[in-house]
Amino acid sequence: MRLNHLQKWMQAVVVHPGTTEQALRSPEAERLLSARKIATVLLASPALSPAERIAIYQEMYPLRMHDALLADYPGLEHFLGHRFQELVVAYAEAHPSKDYTLNRFGDHVPAFLARQRRFLPRPFLVDLARLELALTEAFDERESPTLKAGDFEAISVSRLARTRLVTVPSVRLVSLEWNAGDYLDSVRDENHHHPKPRKEPAFVLVFRRNYAIYRLPVSAAAFALLEDIVAGRPIGVAVQRALARRGLKRASAEDFSRWFQQWTSEGVFGGVKRQDSA
Amino acid sequence: MTSKPKGNRFGFKDLGIGIGLRTSHYPHILSKWPKIDWFEVLSENYMDTGGRPMFVLDQVAERYPVALHGVSMSIGSTDPLNREHLKKLKGLADRTKAHWVSDHLCWTGVLGRNTHDLLPMPYTEEALTHTVKRAKQVSEILERPLVLENPSSYVEFAQSTMPEWEFLARLAKDADCGLLLDVNNVYVSSFNHRFDPVEYIDAIPADRVVQYHLAGHTNKGTHIVDTHSDHAIDEVWKLYGHACGRTGPVATLYEWDENIPPFDVVVAEAQKAARFRRGLPR
Repeated sequence: MRLNHLQKWMQAVVVHPGTTEQALRSPEAERLLSARKIATVLLASPALSPAERIAIYQEMYPLRMHDALLADYPGLEHFLGHRFQELVVAYAEAHPSKDYTLNRFGDHVPAFLARQRRFLPRPFLVDLARLELALTEAFDERESPTLKAGDFEAISVSRLARTRLVTVPSVRLVSLEWNAGDYLDSVRDENHHHPKPRKEPAFVLVFRRNYAIYRLPVSAAAFALLEDIVAGRPIGVAVQRALARRGLKRASAEDFSRWFQQWTSEGVFGGVKRQDSA
Repeated sequence: MTSKPKGNRFGFKDLGIGIGLRTSHYPHILSKWPKIDWFEVLSENYMDTGGRPMFVLDQVAERYPVALHGVSMSIGSTDPLNREHLKKLKGLADRTKAHWVSDHLCWTGVLGRNTHDLLPMPYTEEALTHTVKRAKQVSEILERPLVLENPSSYVEFAQSTMPEWEFLARLAKDADCGLLLDVNNVYVSSFNHRFDPVEYIDAIPADRVVQYHLAGHTNKGTHIVDTHSDHAIDEVWKLYGHACGRTGPVATLYEWDENIPPFDVVVAEAQKAARFRRGLPR
């Protein structure tokens, strides 16, 4: 068997989610080597048959995928318990790693869960996965300097409205329909007091400061304003839009100073751009 | 058996005795800056992050010698080389002033997929020609000699026409590679495939060995799994002493990747190597 065929066959067996017998008899493997002929490719050892030897690799594959997803989704793992491995196997089958690193292997988990019917309650799990994904993205983003309060105050009032604020690369805005944030807070509770999944809208600002990740709950109005800032709208436009919104998303004039001061001191902003310098 | 320092043909330094840089040890390292000869860094863990891991590595690389060790080069794969990966690897090596860059004699996937396992090669002329060509290309891209590690393996291919040690020696010579001799891997594979580990080590060109790996493993009875989860057994230490008798003292690294104990425990295990670095104690 040529090297490229050998590698395709071995990979087909190793990544197969079923038993080794099923893997050897899968169409992907049998296309390259009949299961009956395995001994023409792999030698037996005194203790193990060829199938038992390749099974060592096949059994390790889902464990590696498990570890990779567990690192990014500890909340999901905690909620699903033993069924987390079922998610791992199904996910790895649908979204096999094609990268040299497992760092971003789990990026499709929220979308994958949204398409599933077997993991419930689905909208809660999707929200939990979206929140955890935002945290891992923030973890890996590049570090950049933050805007100091003095920098902000140095902008003249006449120019302020035309100025755009640039957030640091780690900023992620996550709107939740379910209490995924509360659940994630409880994951490390040694007494296992975990909230039941329930509909409870929340808005979360995720960012990193001094290499630590923060989750800041914000109001609907503040969240909408942050969305406009992240979208690159000038401060004047973003403020006008915030004042014009209705209901919970409407901001009052007193809110702005407090929010901008807090976000600046938290290190949410990385700089400013005047509109004419865009 | 004792030996005098011999050095390798690449002029790579004997960095002494080091351990792998691991996340669970970051707080200890950053607060104590402990005395240790050098750190080995898992390349892929730092190539795509601008966060805390890179922040820590920059500081470590300022204070200690480091070498890069990768798991995704897939040098034996029949897929094309991943040039984006190699470009980033070179960038990381330059940034950290890595003394050398190593990966494994293995393949990790084909058809664009990555199993993230170190899958074994058949030891054939076809595989040798293929791997030599790619190893030369990698060395050119990295602008430094590639260092390759012998794998631990659980299968043997019926079509192999030469033993692993011959394949490795010929690969190193034909591609002008350095070798990272993992003594635990030699022991693990010798158990799994029933060969003589001393014969393996004696066939390795001593002047190409630029680094040793040592580790613990898990004996399942029917086979041994290379888990890096424990202390090294006496047989592995003896093999290491035998190998050092041929090469002289060479940079040595203790790997502990599962159930990682406190920093000082890993260092204490690594320091056992001092007794053997000039050959087996009398």
